[in-house]
Amino acid sequence: MVFQMDELDETQLKNHVDSLKQQLQFNREKTSVAIPELAKWIEEKMNEDPFLNPDVLKDNPWVESSKCVII
Amino acid sequence: MGEMEQLRKEAESLKDEITAARKAVQDLTLQDHVAGTAVVGRVQLKTRKTLRGHLSKIYAVHWGDSKLCVSASQDGKLIVWDSYTTNKVHAIPLKSSWVMTCSYAPSGNMVACGGLDNMCSIYNLKGKDGNVKVMRELAAHTGYLSCCRFLNDNEIITSSGDCTCVLWDIETGSQKTVFAGHLGDCMSLGVAPDFNTFISGACDFTAKLWDIRDGQCRQTFGGHESDINAIGFFPNGNAVITGSDDASCKLYDLRSDQELITYQDSGIMCGVTSLAPSLSGRLILAGYDDFNCNIWDSLKAERVGVLSGHDNRVSCIGVTPDGMACCTGSWDSFLKIWN
Repeated sequence: MVFQMDELDETQLKNHVDSLKQQLQFNREKTSVAIPELAKWIEEKMNEDPFLNPDVLKDNPWVESSKCVII
Repeated sequence: MGEMEQLRKEAESLKDEITAARKAVQDLTLQDHVAGTAVVGRVQLKTRKTLRGHLSKIYAVHWGDSKLCVSASQDGKLIVWDSYTTNKVHAIPLKSSWVMTCSYAPSGNMVACGGLDNMCSIYNLKGKDGNVKVMRELAAHTGYLSCCRFLNDNEIITSSGDCTCVLWDIETGSQKTVFAGHLGDCMSLGVAPDFNTFISGACDFTAKLWDIRDGQCRQTFGGHESDINAIGFFPNGNAVITGSDDASCKLYDLRSDQELITYQDSGIMCGVTSLAPSLSGRLILAGYDDFNCNIWDSLKAERVGVLSGHDNRVSCIGVTPDGMACCTGSWDSFLKIWN
């Protein structure tokens, strides 16, 4: 189900308005601070990322490490 | 002016104020910040294992640790797999075959599932006699169970087609907190790495961030033009990724409370069903209705790879906690492990 705004009853509308008032109060950080810090976190972690650094996948648990031998 | 009309006007005015507050802190865009960064090279992941055993469409998969995962299929089974050997550790028959979600507890002691039965069933994997039995049936939702995630062995969060999410006490089977506010079916949820908050994506096209302990919605993110089917936290907990029927994924920054970028391509016209970030978050793996999984460079918003191999819709995807592999589940009844 999906509600349109005009389908809400008075209690739901009051709650909706109260929630919006609370959300407006959120202490927003400047993107000039948040974005560089996010990008920096990513770039520092990339070295450990198995999908980006093949060295991390050298010991791959899903690949048979020994060859099969016919005896 | 009637009370209702006044409230509606107040709501519109508050939404405008929030939009203005977001604009006021937007002194840099992601595109500008990474203008000098190169796109990552082509990412080619190979199928390492195919997990065979389900007899019908797979709807959900969730890693327990970096070896064991649980999958749910409308063949009426939950299967716990040892992904290294492809062995089935447990094959759990369900009372209701209309399952839509499953979850593995972080402890490894339990799994949960639910769907059109409107309930979340908790199964104890470590019972004394070795049999896996239903431990608790959490019933109170008045709509289908779309997603569930354990916080610990006694608490689980569910999202539902009744437009609410609920935090449950598993021992007593009672609802501790009801998170109400979405205006459409809740389709997906994700828990923050620090377990203090969770996010929900819904058919009202928005994503909401909730404080688990006080039950309040802290932030609401819009911008999508259709249902949000998939949602996940960025690995550092400071951003949220969503996937929608509008064929795009979006990255929202929590600290500045706004959308940073959209992952879309004119060649992609079908809905996103599932998504998961890689360990560093630099890659976003997203499953689509067209049987493929696209790999996006999260900073540059370019496609850098594709996982193709399923013969039907990719319905679910998950990356292991250690980032070493990802698992895709499909309506073709198979799960594949890639790295």
